[in-house]
Amino acid sequence: MISGIHQRESEAIEKGSSLGRDSWLRLRKNRLAMTSLWFFVTVVVICFLLPIFSFVPDPNVTFPELQSAPAFSTATSVDGIEVYYLFGSDHLGRDIFSRILYGGRVSLAVGFLATAVSLTIGVAYGALSGYIGGKVDAAMMRIVDILYALPFMIIVIILTTYFGNNLWLLFVCIGAVEWLTMARIVRGQVISLKNQEFVEAARSLGLSQWRIIFRHLIPNTIGPVIVYTTLTVPAVMRLEAILSFLGLGVQPPDASWGSLIKEGADRMASDPGLLVYPAIIFALTLFSLNFLGDGLRDALDPKSSKD
Amino acid sequence: MIRQRKDRTPQGYLQHLTRLGPILGFALLVIASGCSRESKVEIATREKILIMGNGAEPKALDPHIVSSVGDSNILRALFEGLVAYHPTNDMLHEPGVAERWEANEDFSEWTFYLRKNAKWSNGDPVTAHDFIYSYNRILHPEMAAPYSSMLYFLKNAEEFNKGEIKDFSKVGVKAEGDFTLICKLKGPTPYFPDVVKHTTWLPVHGPTIEKFGNITDPYTEWQKPGNHVSNGAFILTAWRINAYVKVRRNPNYWDGANVKPNGIDFKPIDNVFTEEKAFRNGLLHYTYVLPENLIAKYKEASDPRLRTETYAGSYFYRCNVDQAPTDNVSFRRALAYAIDQETIVEFVTRGGQQPAYGFTPPSKAGYDPPKIIAFDPEKARLHLKEAGYESGSDVPEFTVIINTSEAHKSIAVAIQDMWKKHLGIEKVKIENQEWKVFQQTVHDTNYEVSRAGWIGDYVDPNTFLSMWVSGDSNNNTGWSNAEFDRLMEESGLISDPAQRYATLKEAERILLNDLPILPIYWYTRTYLIHPDVKNWHPLLLDNHPYKYIDLVSEEDKEEVRP
Repeated sequence: MISGIHQRESEAIEKGSSLGRDSWLRLRKNRLAMTSLWFFVTVVVICFLLPIFSFVPDPNVTFPELQSAPAFSTATSVDGIEVYYLFGSDHLGRDIFSRILYGGRVSLAVGFLATAVSLTIGVAYGALSGYIGGKVDAAMMRIVDILYALPFMIIVIILTTYFGNNLWLLFVCIGAVEWLTMARIVRGQVISLKNQEFVEAARSLGLSQWRIIFRHLIPNTIGPVIVYTTLTVPAVMRLEAILSFLGLGVQPPDASWGSLIKEGADRMASDPGLLVYPAIIFALTLFSLNFLGDGLRDALDPKSSKD
Repeated sequence: MIRQRKDRTPQGYLQHLTRLGPILGFALLVIASGCSRESKVEIATREKILIMGNGAEPKALDPHIVSSVGDSNILRALFEGLVAYHPTNDMLHEPGVAERWEANEDFSEWTFYLRKNAKWSNGDPVTAHDFIYSYNRILHPEMAAPYSSMLYFLKNAEEFNKGEIKDFSKVGVKAEGDFTLICKLKGPTPYFPDVVKHTTWLPVHGPTIEKFGNITDPYTEWQKPGNHVSNGAFILTAWRINAYVKVRRNPNYWDGANVKPNGIDFKPIDNVFTEEKAFRNGLLHYTYVLPENLIAKYKEASDPRLRTETYAGSYFYRCNVDQAPTDNVSFRRALAYAIDQETIVEFVTRGGQQPAYGFTPPSKAGYDPPKIIAFDPEKARLHLKEAGYESGSDVPEFTVIINTSEAHKSIAVAIQDMWKKHLGIEKVKIENQEWKVFQQTVHDTNYEVSRAGWIGDYVDPNTFLSMWVSGDSNNNTGWSNAEFDRLMEESGLISDPAQRYATLKEAERILLNDLPILPIYWYTRTYLIHPDVKNWHPLLLDNHPYKYIDLVSEEDKEEVRP
């Protein structure tokens, strides 16, 4: 009996809510952020899964004779192949809808890849710098300052010329340049955390420094890190779009959202659809990521929450 | 503190100010737009400055280095050769630095009599020695000029260029006094005055070149505005990379009184869509090209600014014959027969081009090129089998390089898909390169397949065929055929035109049989030109002598009429 009561009591005590659950509950109340989340998940799922099914045409197959077909139309090529154009066709008779999906794969993958790289470097660098402190911290942060001062676009263009056509390698490099802000954020967090009691407790238990940094400090910085990550993904996607717009990103005939928008912008006088459809989807995706990031910031930081 | 608070601007005033802001801004906008109602082109017309779109950034402003059409457009304004271009007909000649010229009876020796009043822009007289100096420079082996083969018409020029002869005085050109130039040629060349109009035969000012480096140094300071000395109707006054090349009236030009425009601004705009927008917004008098999707639009509106003209040029792909997989003749044939040229012309380029069934474009001059290459997927597949590939998926990856341009990209993507559709070749990459880089890559034959275009330098099939002779500086494919070389050599010694054309045709047949090139289409020139530009006549080679071009505002005329 006694033990049973004790059990129930401790259950009640332990059933506090975790940070994740708490924030999830708070996030759920934010309608804009939730809509954005579902929209983004849908876009990702469609881009990565839909091209598996055969009814999505090959994005690089050309039917020059079927050029500039309007949206929602069916056309028959000279060889008797019937093509349905959901969003119309471009100047070479390629299906815009399917090009947007395949382009989305490149843009999203690039966004995630570069963000993952910047996350890894930024968090590790910032945490180390903040935890060690002193002269090491000063030196490490001055390095970050120097890197900040370099003109970002020029570095990326130099990297592009150096790595040529290898898109993936290039975006690993972009990630390697994008980590600076992340490092600063994490450093700030670690400095404010490292003198708190739980760290002292860990230290007095004789844990190694690595363990303290990676098991106790970094998990506590997760809030700002997640927020900043959701904002880095669209930033990198935008950067990819800019590079593609300058003709430095993906090589033809492959597409990314950026290169599709560039092609569309060139031909908007004759085929506005080429510009409008990819631009709408790209803009919506960026918006949704930004709204999601906003919502996460409110949700993960109890101090700034409105309720 | 308190006083400060009292001094603050009353709130009512602030509100007025915030309302005033947009109104003021709008008013300013109206004023500004009112002021700029006169577009750049209108101002330029008034000042008699021609503003031309000119494709890519020029590689150099030195006649011995350049080989592209855009670059020679600028050089034609800066320099004047022995013979000048005629404003209405490429077959006719205008006296340039030479007042008159004559040939011996079999056209193998030409004498040019230079005018005594021709001057360089620094005041020095232009003499026969300047021309000899220039020929020495372009032919010098150390110069490695990309277009030196244009001078192979001269006796012993090829040998000197290849280093077999060290002494330039053995080359068939000499001066008699300061104002007579005698050219001894390899064979009879009745069209020689056409040849010497070309960029490569332009004179350069020796003392200027040697002030900034050796005679054979290619990229020195002498090409900078201020240093540049030229003998044409215009002089270089400003050159900003990727922005403009400006040339203005040359005060020392002998025919200065008859030069109509005061200057020309060449704008390197390699994005065809941007160029058309610039034209529409009144920034250009003339576009270098017109994007294919807008040709139809301008045609529909029957816009008088749209011009479409025959242009003696061939658009094709070069194949590197020393590198797999394009080293295999059957494979090259497979590629050539799988290109549906008619579809490209009708739906991709859309400018009224003709599908190229051979290399030399057909012309009215009498030469009828062999037409062998035509789209035939069956034949293409057979050739692919012959090349040793069971199916297209066995073909190793290769790259097509193009210079950055939407038009070239569309064609490349269409061809890439044709190869995939008809031959099953999956692994074709497309890589675009900036124009200067691209020219170097092609010159170094560092590619598998590369986009190319060749515009005739003079009205004769020889300009299209002589470049494929072994080791020619414009061959760039590594292709070499002894029989072809022999026929070309032979054709140079025949003076009867019909017989010469027959020999050339036989040579072209060999070229089309070996296919170091994949023919795609024969050019047309489609461009936009402002109605203010007068005396701009259609030309087969598109080499307009600028001094005749006049700029008269259409509006002024209308005002005069009533």
